[in-house]
Amino acid sequence: MFDPVILAQILWTGIATASPFVLLTAGFALTLKVTGLWNFAQAGLMAIAFYTMFFALNAFGLPVVAAVPLGVVVTSAAALVIEAYGLQVLRERHSGNLTFFIFTLILSEFIIYVLTLAFGTEPQTLFKSILSPVSIIGDIAVSDWDKVAVAMAATGLALLWGFMHGTREGQFLTAVADNAPLAELYGISAIRAYRVTAVIAALFIVAAMYLIGSHGGIVPNTPLELVLTAVIATLLGGIGRVFAAAAAAVFLALIQSFSILFIDSRWQNLLLYGFLFAAILLFPRGVRLIAIRR
Amino acid sequence: MDYLLTLGVLISIFVILSTSYNLVIGYGGLSTVAHPIFFAIGAYTAGLLSIHTTIPPPVNVLIGAAAAMVASVLLAASSLRVSGDYLLIASLGFQLGLLQLIKNLDFTGGPGGLGAIPGTFTGPLRAPIYLAIAGGLAILTVLAIRSIVQGPYGRAITAMRDEELAFTALGRNAMSLKIVIFAIGCGFAGIAGGVYAYYFQYISPDQFEVLQSAAILTMVVLGGMGTVYGPVVGAVLLLAIPQAITFLNLPSSVMAPMQGILFTLLVLLFLFLRPAGILGGSAKVRL
Repeated sequence: MFDPVILAQILWTGIATASPFVLLTAGFALTLKVTGLWNFAQAGLMAIAFYTMFFALNAFGLPVVAAVPLGVVVTSAAALVIEAYGLQVLRERHSGNLTFFIFTLILSEFIIYVLTLAFGTEPQTLFKSILSPVSIIGDIAVSDWDKVAVAMAATGLALLWGFMHGTREGQFLTAVADNAPLAELYGISAIRAYRVTAVIAALFIVAAMYLIGSHGGIVPNTPLELVLTAVIATLLGGIGRVFAAAAAAVFLALIQSFSILFIDSRWQNLLLYGFLFAAILLFPRGVRLIAIRR
Repeated sequence: MDYLLTLGVLISIFVILSTSYNLVIGYGGLSTVAHPIFFAIGAYTAGLLSIHTTIPPPVNVLIGAAAAMVASVLLAASSLRVSGDYLLIASLGFQLGLLQLIKNLDFTGGPGGLGAIPGTFTGPLRAPIYLAIAGGLAILTVLAIRSIVQGPYGRAITAMRDEELAFTALGRNAMSLKIVIFAIGCGFAGIAGGVYAYYFQYISPDQFEVLQSAAILTMVVLGGMGTVYGPVVGAVLLLAIPQAITFLNLPSSVMAPMQGILFTLLVLLFLFLRPAGILGGSAKVRL
């Protein structure tokens, strides 16, 4: 049961499985950091991203190199429309948090219902076969999907870090996240920051949905479950700490993976909800492993 | 005729649900989406007790309501301790987590649902009797909540919702008031669940998913959040309108999403075009 090879295999598979969740969490946590919103409309965007790629690949017969950019364009456009004609209208109306929540959740459900009508409730995958060639590296089975997933998550996070710290646009996002009215006084457009954030989140969503859709079946309702994982990871990582939230997503996936050693697999999902409550009750500001000195 | 009577029972149950949800979200200002799970707790408690014991049905329904109240107090007391917004997230997690639990337990019937719940009444008068019971309970719920929100307690609730800091500065305990409101609202949802279980004699986890949250939320937003009769209008309209689609004889794979589209589209339209809802002319709650 505790054979080192088995443990290493679970560790690797857990990290690979966590990769799409890392991307989703990074997009969700960045949106929360900059806009201050628990944006459940990202579930709708996940559904749009997946079904755009699915339709492009299977109905139009487009190659992956065309289907993924199409997914990026459509998802980004949808994110910008939601930002400009939904969230911004509510901001100008000084709506309360509850209204933003109702809007984002109901919008997601609207999108999911439309997609259910169009594509049914049968699980769909991006490709006809989800089997991925496997190679053995040091007694551990590593599939090509695993490699692509880990590489995409690592690259995505590195690019985001570079963007946030190395570009003026990224620094503007941080400024708006810290204090939007003050940032506006210094000539930084909060609206622009919100829109840039929406596009970045859309890019992460497309990347994640490509990985998830090429690894297993998705039904229109799946994104609502995915967004909850992002919520839990964001809570664990701490609001405003995008990279800590991404690390929390890895931690959650590893806990779920290793839990098969101790509990029945059907209870694995319940662990997530246990962590949600633990995060809210014990770590409302996120888990801090290192004391911050000022 | 039976179809219309069943629709009447369903409307009555949803009047109880939407009115009690309005107390929590509209008057109390508590951001929660988990109302269907308290409906489920009431339904499963009453259903299981009726199958495994000989306790009279009204007592079972009350026990179901009490179970929903206890669960709501546990949820609110833990998540409101931190911040109001956490209740939103915690309620969503609580709903999905508990549904996951129900799906995995054998004695609840698992994902297949709990069937063979004793019907209590039989014969041609079954549906009219249930309509009278459910309708009576719906009227009682509306009157009870009206008396709560229009009395001194109601003024305290709205004061707390609108200016919590000032309310606390006056020496009032906002936390305990929130927990009481939440418990009352969820208790009514538990009663609705009990009636639902006895009338339909079958319950399954799918009936209490997040999409059900959207339906109840729609009724409240459409009718007018923070108004006494708004949720009643919302429940009647939203259960009556989709019946038009039913008469189109569409397959269920088309009808279910069509009804969902109708529900969600109405909320979105009202959110932007008439945020106060049909009866909320003076915009009781700022949306």
